[in-house]
Amino acid sequence: MQVRNRRKVVGASKARSSRTTALSTGKAGVRYRQEALESFYDGFKAAGIDFAVFLPDSMLDGVEQLILERGDIEAYQCSREDEGIAMAMGAFLVGKRPVALMEGSGIGMSALILARGIVQKTPTMLIIGHNSTLGERYDYHGATRLVAEPVLRALSIPYHVLYDPAHIRNVVIEAQATVEGQRLPFGILVPSHVIREIGESR
Amino acid sequence: MNRTDVLRYIAGLRNGAAMIISPGLANYPIAEAKDEPLTIYNMDMPYTTPMALGIALGWPERKVISIEGDGSLLAGPGVLSTVARYQPKNLLMFVFDNGAYLTTGSGKAPTATVFGTDIEQLGRAAGLTNTRTVHDLDAATKAVKAAFIEPGPWLIVAKVDKQDRPAERGPHTLPMYVYEAGLVFHRAALQERSVKK
Repeated sequence: MQVRNRRKVVGASKARSSRTTALSTGKAGVRYRQEALESFYDGFKAAGIDFAVFLPDSMLDGVEQLILERGDIEAYQCSREDEGIAMAMGAFLVGKRPVALMEGSGIGMSALILARGIVQKTPTMLIIGHNSTLGERYDYHGATRLVAEPVLRALSIPYHVLYDPAHIRNVVIEAQATVEGQRLPFGILVPSHVIREIGESR
Repeated sequence: MNRTDVLRYIAGLRNGAAMIISPGLANYPIAEAKDEPLTIYNMDMPYTTPMALGIALGWPERKVISIEGDGSLLAGPGVLSTVARYQPKNLLMFVFDNGAYLTTGSGKAPTATVFGTDIEQLGRAAGLTNTRTVHDLDAATKAVKAAFIEPGPWLIVAKVDKQDRPAERGPHTLPMYVYEAGLVFHRAALQERSVKK
């Protein structure tokens, strides 16, 4: 993996070293599918994404750390997901192309700000860990899977559940086209098998 | 100290600064003083400063103002830690603390500041250093002026009375609907920044 623009990002902890193998993170030793992480990043760059906000979660940590490591997308960490979505929408208002990354539980926290973004025509792309149906093996994600997709549906926010890592880049690009063309938030949901190594602890 | 007097002073110094205003009576003095396109009126309660923070980070050359009430700030105080983390020099947070949810219903429901919660100290505990609590108009105008001149982020808490709640509540009007606010703001920002979309 080639490292580009390794400048330090505001608020980032020490950048991780670039690796040719899957990134690992956290005590659980989660291993990510490197091609999936690269596809997200390539999709963001191709879509013109230049502002990222996230609340760390184990499903998307690999993407978030890659954004920090590469350093050419402004990246900020928020204290709550709804706060982060509001930050992303603020960035949109002044010409940025933002993305907000979070676990699906964060969408449950964010119905009001998402509704405000719809009414006010101030959108952002959303990358969401977990989904309602695929790969939800832990009881403690039970509430997470109950809120993310239903909140998006309730607000008529368009969303797409990824299945094949090969589709990530194009889905990101086309999602951003909808964000800008329709001035609507767009959710991309990421099941475990799409982003994590099959068979590893997850 | 009356909130309206301070808001008019802020409006006079504003000079094109972007502004997000929390819901309630604070919107009207700003609109009456001078409506500007880089304004979002009546932002839903916990999101005034978060949206202002996103604007400040995305447009660091422009001053950005959040107008909060004590109730709205206390609905999402975690944002103070995010502001402190990234230290945007162009962000000015003004909190009007009247100790009540003044706009709602009878206006008699107290906020936690009546029972000892100190919003400035919340900010300092979060890591903010440019903070003030002001109790009269003279101190307020000095603090506001300093915030417009010196680098931020700034957190100014103005202890105000409840006199700006009208005795009889008639219909209020603002210069634009929420439906168009995002379009107007976005277009104005792009024009000023010459960003092609």
